[in-house]
Amino acid sequence: MLDNLQRNVLSNLDLLLTGLLTTIQVCTQAFLLATVVGLAACLIRLYVPALKYAAIAYIEFCRSTPMVVQLLWVNYVWPEVFGFPGTVIGAGVIALALQSSGYLAETFRSGIEAINKGHREAAMALGLSPARTMRRIVLPQVVLEMAPSLINQLAVVLKSSTLVSVIAVPDLMFQALRLVDRSLEPIEILSSVAILYIAVITSVSLISKLISDHFRDKYGLSIKQ
Amino acid sequence: MTTLQALGEALNPDLFWEYRNVLLSGFSYNLLIFALSAVGATVIGMLIGIARLSSNWAVRATATSYAEIFRNTPEYVLLVWAYYVLPIIIGRITGTNVRFDPITVAVASLAVAYSGYFSETFRAGILAVPKANIEAGMSVGMSGWMILRRLVIPQAVRRMLPESLNQYISLFKSTSIVSLIAIEDLMYRVSMITMEESRPLPLYTWAAIVFCTAIVLLTQVADRLSARWRRAGLA
Repeated sequence: MLDNLQRNVLSNLDLLLTGLLTTIQVCTQAFLLATVVGLAACLIRLYVPALKYAAIAYIEFCRSTPMVVQLLWVNYVWPEVFGFPGTVIGAGVIALALQSSGYLAETFRSGIEAINKGHREAAMALGLSPARTMRRIVLPQVVLEMAPSLINQLAVVLKSSTLVSVIAVPDLMFQALRLVDRSLEPIEILSSVAILYIAVITSVSLISKLISDHFRDKYGLSIKQ
Repeated sequence: MTTLQALGEALNPDLFWEYRNVLLSGFSYNLLIFALSAVGATVIGMLIGIARLSSNWAVRATATSYAEIFRNTPEYVLLVWAYYVLPIIIGRITGTNVRFDPITVAVASLAVAYSGYFSETFRAGILAVPKANIEAGMSVGMSGWMILRRLVIPQAVRRMLPESLNQYISLFKSTSIVSLIAIEDLMYRVSMITMEESRPLPLYTWAAIVFCTAIVLLTQVADRLSARWRRAGLA
């Protein structure tokens, strides 16, 4: 058993590590993109009446289409229709970001709507411009309230990112499957990779829980899990 | 191809319609796997949810770890592991040559993956049952099992209905990953037809549109039902 572990996993550690780095790279980029796009979609839905239904359609499409379907769609259709992404990594990032931006838009919306109306009215009474009210009064509270859900979404992105191997993004899962193809000995490789994924994702969820407990204690926020 | 031509090609439903029978029979695999794994996830989730509230700490710890582990496991990793590794391990233990049918693997993996979420919903539902009801049951001399069966579960199930509808919808979305272990579901057939026809644009686009429409409709139905249950005081 240890022999097998040595031969299959430890001697290929550099390959698996490159895969892990790709996973981290893809997830970070997708998460940042999803946060920006999700916030934009949420703000458009709430404050730009002309584009409200376009934003709702976008959010619902992102939330209601399975990850695999979005991944293949972005990878094969987007380059022809929109002229990008040029690489599989780009396609993986965009597909992951699409999925998460829909969920994050709804998370942001519930955060903004949860804020006491009196705060906004007080800001208005003091003569703060709408942009300033957003920046100084609403967003800081939304960020505090949303931090745990945001980090939790990172765990979701990590989970979904295993699927980008399907379009040949060289992530951890892809490298593991390639090693299995070569050695035909799946037990050690797949089990190690599974444990690694579970450990990373559990840590991220745990951090999200700790942060939400911390905020609840410090600011007395009632955070919905 | 210009952008406009590509867009026209992507939205052209002819090819998708031409293969409607093949695609529909692929979609029936999604429905079958969804139905079986939904039953599995509900049953396992219910047992784990009850075990998580057990007074025996060993049972509680085991059930809680089970739920935590499977809630944090990517479904694809679980599926691949169950497909490639599990038969070998079982074969070595029993000393026989074990082979699993891909559909069995898919149903079992999805059931286990979602049972973690369901156990959490069950636990919350059970905890929401007022303690006074249980005490009342005890004071009229009901046994522990009878309290569970007649007082706790009926109320808990009603409370967890809206949340579990959302989980069933997520589970339905997840059935699209079974194409990755060569089950001939909708996405598998889309990929096959694409290879044959070399026209990926309309097929992938229409697959996305069909899935999206189906799930938006299901979500609407779920929301309406939840609202009605809430009004009726059931949930």
